Amino acid sequence: MRPQREYHIVVLGAGGVGKSCLTGIHPSVFPAALLRMKGILRPNSDTDQFTAQFVQNVWIESYDPTIEDSYRKQIEVDGRQCILEILDTAGTEQFTAMRELYMKQGQGFLLVFSITSMSSLNELSELREQIIRIKDDEKVPLVIVGNKSDLEEDRAVPRARAFGLSQNWGNAPYYETSARRRANVNEVFVDLCRQIIRKDLQGSSGNSDNSRKREGPNRSDRKKDNRTQGRRRSPCVIL
Amino acid sequence: MEPMRPNIPPLKIVKSNSNISVLTTLPDQDDSNHTTARFYSHTLSQSEMTPPLTPQVTMQLEPNMEPSEAPRAVFHNYLRAFYPFHPAGDVSPSTVTLPLDQGDIILVHSVHTNGWADGTLLDSGNRGWLPTNYCEAYDQLPMRPLLKALTDFWDIIRGGCGSSLKDFGNQDLMRGPIAGVRFLLEKSECLTREAALIKKYDGLRRIRKALLSDLSSLVKSAKKFQDVANGTPAEDEVEAILDEMLLKAFKIVTRGVRFLDVWNEEVGLGRTIAELETAAPQYDMPPTPASETFTLADIASTSDTGTERTESRQISHSRMDLSRASVRTEMLDHSSRRMSVSTKRISVSHRISYSGPSSAICAQNLASERLRTTYDAFLGVLGSFIGLHMQSRSSTELVVTTQQAVQSCRALLNVVEAVSEHDTQRSVFLEEARESMCEKLSELVQAARDVFRPANTHDDDELVFMPDEGKRLVDAATDCVRAAGNCLAKARLVLEQIGDIELDPEEAETSTNQGVPGIVTSQASPDVPTDQEKPQELSRRLPPPPLTIPNATYSPSTPGLTDATTPSSFQSHLASSTSPALPSALSSLPNSAVLPTQLEQGSFSSYDSGHRESHPKSDISESFGRGVTSTGSSFTYHSHTRDSEMSGLSQTSTRATSPDIGGSFHGSFQGPSLKESVSHSTLAEENEETEAHLLEKTYAHELVYKEGHVMGGSLRALIEKLTAHQSTPDALFVSTFYLTFRLFATPLEFAEALAERFEYIGETPHAAGPVRLRVYNVFKGWLESHWRHDRDDSALEFIMTFAKTRLMTDLPTAGKRLLDLADKVSAVHGPVVPRLVSSMGKTNTAIAQYVHPDTPLPAPILGKKEANLLKQWKTGEASITILDFDPMELARQLTIKESRIFCSILPEELLDTEWTRKSGSLAVNVRAMSTLSTDLAHLVADSILYLEEPKKRAATIKHWVKIASKCLELNNYDSLMAIICSLNLSMISRLKRTWDIVSQKTKTTLEQLRSIVDVSRNYAVLRQRLQNHVPPCLPFVGTYLTDLTFVDHGNQSLRSLPTDDGEMAVINFDKHMKTARIISELQRFQIPYRLTEVPELQTWMQNELVRVRSNGELTAQTFYRRSLVLEPREPSRSGGNLQALAQAQAQSQTQAGSQSQSESSPPNPSILENAKDKFDFLSWTNPSKPKSVVTNG
Repeated sequence: MRPQREYHIVVLGAGGVGKSCLTGIHPSVFPAALLRMKGILRPNSDTDQFTAQFVQNVWIESYDPTIEDSYRKQIEVDGRQCILEILDTAGTEQFTAMRELYMKQGQGFLLVFSITSMSSLNELSELREQIIRIKDDEKVPLVIVGNKSDLEEDRAVPRARAFGLSQNWGNAPYYETSARRRANVNEVFVDLCRQIIRKDLQGSSGNSDNSRKREGPNRSDRKKDNRTQGRRRSPCVIL
Repeated sequence: MEPMRPNIPPLKIVKSNSNISVLTTLPDQDDSNHTTARFYSHTLSQSEMTPPLTPQVTMQLEPNMEPSEAPRAVFHNYLRAFYPFHPAGDVSPSTVTLPLDQGDIILVHSVHTNGWADGTLLDSGNRGWLPTNYCEAYDQLPMRPLLKALTDFWDIIRGGCGSSLKDFGNQDLMRGPIAGVRFLLEKSECLTREAALIKKYDGLRRIRKALLSDLSSLVKSAKKFQDVANGTPAEDEVEAILDEMLLKAFKIVTRGVRFLDVWNEEVGLGRTIAELETAAPQYDMPPTPASETFTLADIASTSDTGTERTESRQISHSRMDLSRASVRTEMLDHSSRRMSVSTKRISVSHRISYSGPSSAICAQNLASERLRTTYDAFLGVLGSFIGLHMQSRSSTELVVTTQQAVQSCRALLNVVEAVSEHDTQRSVFLEEARESMCEKLSELVQAARDVFRPANTHDDDELVFMPDEGKRLVDAATDCVRAAGNCLAKARLVLEQIGDIELDPEEAETSTNQGVPGIVTSQASPDVPTDQEKPQELSRRLPPPPLTIPNATYSPSTPGLTDATTPSSFQSHLASSTSPALPSALSSLPNSAVLPTQLEQGSFSSYDSGHRESHPKSDISESFGRGVTSTGSSFTYHSHTRDSEMSGLSQTSTRATSPDIGGSFHGSFQGPSLKESVSHSTLAEENEETEAHLLEKTYAHELVYKEGHVMGGSLRALIEKLTAHQSTPDALFVSTFYLTFRLFATPLEFAEALAERFEYIGETPHAAGPVRLRVYNVFKGWLESHWRHDRDDSALEFIMTFAKTRLMTDLPTAGKRLLDLADKVSAVHGPVVPRLVSSMGKTNTAIAQYVHPDTPLPAPILGKKEANLLKQWKTGEASITILDFDPMELARQLTIKESRIFCSILPEELLDTEWTRKSGSLAVNVRAMSTLSTDLAHLVADSILYLEEPKKRAATIKHWVKIASKCLELNNYDSLMAIICSLNLSMISRLKRTWDIVSQKTKTTLEQLRSIVDVSRNYAVLRQRLQNHVPPCLPFVGTYLTDLTFVDHGNQSLRSLPTDDGEMAVINFDKHMKTARIISELQRFQIPYRLTEVPELQTWMQNELVRVRSNGELTAQTFYRRSLVLEPREPSRSGGNLQALAQAQAQSQTQAGSQSQSESSPPNPSILENAKDKFDFLSWTNPSKPKSVVTNG
């Protein structure tokens, strides 16, 4: 077993859902909070910082996405050190033909939508289908992320709706996050990582279906542990 | 012997990790040093406050000695010596110690944990090691900007920031010192020569004059440097001038310090006396006059109200520092040196009691100490509370952290209350601060309650992060922090006045505090009987020199103590002082002496290896000394010419208009500069000029610099930079401004700010001419080539009015010209001058290979046959495929097509993620790029999937691979990307029968191409190739779009700038610079290809692309179905399954075993399929694999 694991994670979602802020920098917890409180930052000024938040936990004054390491991050998952290489296609959503190239790279997927936009949720289905098609695997590690949870007042996607989607997708974990507040961001990546690791172990042990997540109590992702194993094992033919 | 705390100034030092690591590696290197190392690592945690280490090992190792102080991360850049330090000879042959005189100012580079600091003496420019306990932090408020400027200066020159000479050439470097001096003079009310203070005190007047002359000498050096740097400077010449500049900057600071000293003596003292006479008649220590603490407080009073916690903390720091300084200086021999901070202090009691108690436990009970620890604890808890809260927590965790936060608030409040009780004068401020903090605390509690209310009413699952409540909670917490900071500052102030008090370990209820300011007696801590003698004793004698004889028992274990002269030299030095056997750091001195070598070579064996020469090249600069002449005269003019060359924007426009405006402009340009050159001739007039510099109204302090680059600033400060008269803003800055200003200001605001600049520069006559001209030029550039009708028309009216009135009065020609332009702009839709966009990219065309215009274009590779086919296709007689054409020609036509769109991308399409807008996006060309790219990819898939025979499909694949590699030859990465992407699509790559036929050579080529457009590591390969790529080139637009998105979302649009009254939010210009840089990278490639277009072929291609696009969103699904039809899934999958199984079994027995374990359920085809796909993905790069597939299938 490799001492240090490296996983490729692909972040997908419609433009404007704020996924870019998930992975990259995190305009820090404390200073940003202070700035905002002082009225320096308008509450909604940062449209959607999501991908950016993950790679660096510390406040960096200035974030340069053009360097190679700006999309790499080391995290600890259940005591293991993992290196995540995060592939985020923010800004190139319109290059639909590129998507497969990205998806092929990925071992785990974050499907991000904005809780303020129903259409952004609807777009995820197509993405998931494509992933499953490419990976030829119903149970590809995947997390559904409802971003912008800080904009509760603008919520357009009822939580029930998202849970419904999660159930339809074989109980893929669902998280509500706020990239801006860095709420749940780390959890999302840890969960995904855990799934990938489990899948890895499955690959070598053949022990196919453990309940794929055992995360702590998280109010947003209600997972039904009564998932039927058979259902998840059923071979799926896509036409 | 009674262990005693050394009377050492509490100097705060940042422990650097490197130091620690060095120390902890000691045992490995020399076993005999083991104990020492342990000693160090043990004491490191507690030694922040009082380095150098005290050598009383037993005392140090006593567990209850550990003060529970949180390390304070304050690194003082400047120290001031308050004892002379003249070691008789160097401490060891491998180190350079820095002899100090009392009052010397030292720039500190690093501080070793044992208390020795690597510093540069500003007086001489010498660098070496010095004992920090001979010094104290120098951080006086009025000097702060100047000190900071010097630090920056040093960092740029010595720090090796990798700045090019160009950066130095910029006069920005001079702004810091000038602004610093201005600030100092302003704070001391001596800004103008006519100031009352200057007239009254001759001493002040003289120093002020000298200060200004130093400043102008520095400015002159900088100008000289600029001239040198603009030529072809010899390396050592540049070095010499830099050294000279640095020395001059040092001198300014030294002079500034002296100025402040004199000021404090002459003015500050008088004021505080006056203040005391009215305010504090009850003081019963007559000879204790004022403290400049009050004076400073006055100075800072403007900023005192409503300051942020950090700010008020800092102020109280500086206050304490000051008070400490005066304690010492009071007791020192005044004649020893010209050192004028000789004011006597009332806050001595504080100082003494602070260091008086004999043990740390007692110290902890001192109010000041308690205040500090509780406050630190409070900050820690609240900080993590706020921080953690931003991430969602479980409700229980939240409850716990909230409780902690409230508790720590209470603890702090308790201490403050105790202090307040002891305050005989019942400071109103403290009461107020305390009350407001109570208020905030209850708010916090209330907010916390609200947050948790839902937890009780709803079921657990529904308890969610309530963003609104959470925000409120965080708000409340931050308010609390702020109030606490204020409270702390006030409490400290009170403590300083009443003297420190001893608090009961449990409950603060000491009532015996006398709190009479200025009484330096044991009363300060009456509860501790053992202390009663000592503080008194301390107060009556000279402060003991901090260094003393090393503990004999300890020294043997000290590494590197081989040098026997070390202790003795110190001994002799210290013998003269009547020092008690205070613990001190000498024992650790040899360590520090070794440090340099140690750091360099990492081993003690190099101890004798030689003398480390760490002096800067001060001697060289000596020889250059005063050789500065008035070469600066030509500077302004220079910058004018340079301007027109450098900033590509105004390149054309300046050229175009200069003749128009004629002599009047040149006159106004040269006028001031000529005057300047004259004024250089005499010293007096030189000062005039500097004086003018100082009086210039400026917003330069609202700029944020980092490593010599503007990172941010307020709009007016940025505009000031844009129109600076002494320096040319670099091209990127100007371009960035034009490109992005609409993101941080409305066009009207921009115009108004420019007009304001035009107005206020009038107060600075010598600069008014050039600056006004620049303002005009900015307007002109905007109207001419950067006008966006959709956004900017709202400002047109204002600009016209401005041109008609203000501009017309001062610069009639310019006014007229601008008016004409504005008229033209309002009449025409579209840019007046063919749009140069932001020419920063365009100027780089020089890099492109120069091709003579007459060079014939390459002839299309299109035979008669192909031409005929195209004709027939047009009439519907024949159908054609890509196979009918030469790959090179297809690649060329594709390139032409894409290049045309690419070259028409406007910069504004790339701003503010415009291209992602769902509706009404202005980014038509960017959209067209993505559409074309997608269409091309689909065309590739289409052309392959609609062929029935695998052989034909293979041939088509081969052809596409050829086209792709021709695209690479043409540097058309965009098309390359699209084609490779498409060939990589699952619906293509799964066609095993097809790929089996594709030749190995084609596969290898494809693999090579694929590695170029590899997305991993952030497109590392692609980026590497594009760097320094020579146009013509068509980069993959996607990477730019991603970068722009991340810059946009990853950087705040505002940044905070600490000012002397809190913080202000300024424009994060760095973000915009980054954006502009990425856009300029893209623009660099916006150069059309020199290729011949074949219209017929273009038509056919366009037709094909449109045909593919018409499938719409269903394209991908259609293709996939088609793929399944061509090579159905079942057979290939079962084959794949078998193969995968076989491989899996062959590979590992365990896997097979586990497979059988899970036999209860049927083997999961998906997993196996997945495994197979993984193999397949690599399979066709490996020649052996396809065969196995064949046999299996």
